[in-house]
Amino acid sequence: MKAQSPNSIKVLSGKSHPALANSICDILGIKVSRIMIKRSVNEESVISVGETMRDDDVYIVQTGCGEFEVNDHLMELLMMIRACKSASARKVTVVIPNFPYARQDRKDKSRACITAKLMANLLQTAGADHVITMDLHASQIQGFFTIPVDNLYGEPSVIAYIKENIPYKESIIISPDAGGAKRAASLADKLDLKFALIHKERQKANEVSRMVLVGDVKDKVCIIVDDMADTCGTLAKASDTLLSHGAKKVLAIVTHGILSGNAISNINNSSLDSVVCTNTVPFDSLMDQCPKLKKIDISPTLAEAIRRLHNGESVSYLFTHSAIV
Amino acid sequence: MRNLVVFSGSSHPALVKDICSYLCISPGDAQLTKFKNGETSVTIKDSVRNKDVYVVQSSNGHVNDMFIELLIMISACKSASAKKVTAILPLFPYSRQPDVPFQKAGLPHSQTQPNTPIVNKEAYFNNLSDARSVINFKEQTSNYKEWVVQTGTLIADLLTQSGADHIITMDLHDPQFQGFFDIPVDNLYFKPLLISYITQNVPNYKDSVVVSPDAGGAKRAISIADTLGLNFALIHKERRNIRSAKHASGYSLSASVSSLSLVHDHNANTANANIGKSTSSTTMLVGDVKDRDCIIIDDLVDTSSTVIRAAKILKDQGAKSVVAIITHGVFSGDAIERIKRSNIDKIVVSNSLPQSENVAKFSGSAFEVIDVSRIFGEAVRRIHNGESVSILFDHAL
Repeated sequence: MKAQSPNSIKVLSGKSHPALANSICDILGIKVSRIMIKRSVNEESVISVGETMRDDDVYIVQTGCGEFEVNDHLMELLMMIRACKSASARKVTVVIPNFPYARQDRKDKSRACITAKLMANLLQTAGADHVITMDLHASQIQGFFTIPVDNLYGEPSVIAYIKENIPYKESIIISPDAGGAKRAASLADKLDLKFALIHKERQKANEVSRMVLVGDVKDKVCIIVDDMADTCGTLAKASDTLLSHGAKKVLAIVTHGILSGNAISNINNSSLDSVVCTNTVPFDSLMDQCPKLKKIDISPTLAEAIRRLHNGESVSYLFTHSAIV
Repeated sequence: MRNLVVFSGSSHPALVKDICSYLCISPGDAQLTKFKNGETSVTIKDSVRNKDVYVVQSSNGHVNDMFIELLIMISACKSASAKKVTAILPLFPYSRQPDVPFQKAGLPHSQTQPNTPIVNKEAYFNNLSDARSVINFKEQTSNYKEWVVQTGTLIADLLTQSGADHIITMDLHDPQFQGFFDIPVDNLYFKPLLISYITQNVPNYKDSVVVSPDAGGAKRAISIADTLGLNFALIHKERRNIRSAKHASGYSLSASVSSLSLVHDHNANTANANIGKSTSSTTMLVGDVKDRDCIIIDDLVDTSSTVIRAAKILKDQGAKSVVAIITHGVFSGDAIERIKRSNIDKIVVSNSLPQSENVAKFSGSAFEVIDVSRIFGEAVRRIHNGESVSILFDHAL
């Protein structure tokens, strides 16, 4: 095989999370590449790349977020991929910390669309060569792609946060639903803590009816672990359930703090002590309205993944260790 | 009709109702909502197994939302074992996006850069900083020419990838767009309805002049002028220099060019502000319109500056009246207000996009809508039955 000449990294940012792209670039010691993303008057997006991409290793940072803009961000991501690809980039990697439509990952009722699969197809059609994402709702989504997918874990960063900020020896890890049991159990194992599970009977999407606690939480600091916080209704209810079973304090750590709908008032009015989210989704503007919100910065993990990918090193290390800035 | 289901996206249910009533069926039941996190949710309620499915989605309002919704609907039908999925896009999204907006000389092309006011290139790039946090682009200054996505191919690829087997659309801005697809594309024409409208509703149409508001639309307008046996005039905006007026006269074709007039247009409402070197542009009218009724023909009215500018020039050159007949009425921003204040006496559009709100905004007879649901309905019927669609290209129903 012909040895390829070394090429440079280019990081492009979509409109969804420029702050994350910025801090990734700070760590990598480069600048975010020039790109113009504009919505014209008829609400179509216009993308124009302001730097040469020829033979470069291009990383596009775009996350799934925004109550009214998810699809805009998606279209713009697809257009950016195609723009770089048709500008002769050597390789286009999509850094999509919160994968959009990750929860539509199966045919749960008749004629439902497996939208996550559709997203995988669209990204590949647009020209993506590699995908970096984080805490996929179901890791099977990786199988929807025929290109390599690096599903990074928020867990190492979460462990570091817990060790630094929480008197964790007297804590217990809680999974708010049966689906997250594996995630919570793995975290509990790594911290050598006990773990309990809340089983909920769900009637409608985004609505929770009754909760049953499995395990003993008396006089413990409860850490609820989940991959996604949407309206936070589930978290608030879980917190009430835990406190009524004698828990000392309840806090929640989630990877993707989407915080849509009336999430902020739900958190403020809840018995939760704090809600800690990673910055896969931007929520800085909400932190003023909600003092209970706290942030874990995962840009070092993403930056390190980009560095390793670019240099052809193994990424496995990041599955168990949090990156150090 | 057997084994035929027509679903409506959320962009234009009224058109789908009309198409369905033409076909004597009721629209398929699909529930289109959004999850709390803003993701689109589609539930197809009617069975589509082994059926011929048509999904209708125009591109008005929140275009990206509409387009993703269409992709999800197609994918849902396809994975629910539909025999064939046809996407009907009365107005094709991104069909008009400039492939390369800046020419070699740094000048935006008058036709492919439609009415997007670009004030300052640097501010243009810093636009990203609107979003939540600031990225500093200012330090980098290079002579690199921006690379713009060829969205047309991308849109075609995305539709094909999501599972569409067939595309039906109307009056594509660029006929080449059909070539971007590997699946069949039926590009229907508004022209037959437009011709019957002119013959029935324009008094003394035989003395009218058909006008194309820009060089890019000349072919479309000429074909209408030829069919009706009318004279033809062309408005051409030349941004480089006056000398090129010579080659513009080459556009005259079969239409009569009785005079060549040059009008200096210093009106800076168009997208020429970023040219820098020369801010004034030259607009030429090729053809005689004095004391004539003018019919402006175009495929799309968006911000309306092209058509308004054309009407002004026509009136300045002594036109008696100006009627604009345009296929797709997008009317972004304050387009309607500007049209009401302009020299346009009447504007006629098709209902390829929802127009009921716009009808309300125009009082009286200055605005008219031509119903195209029959064309789409008949196309669906013919495609479903495996008949030829060609007849729709030339004949009104």
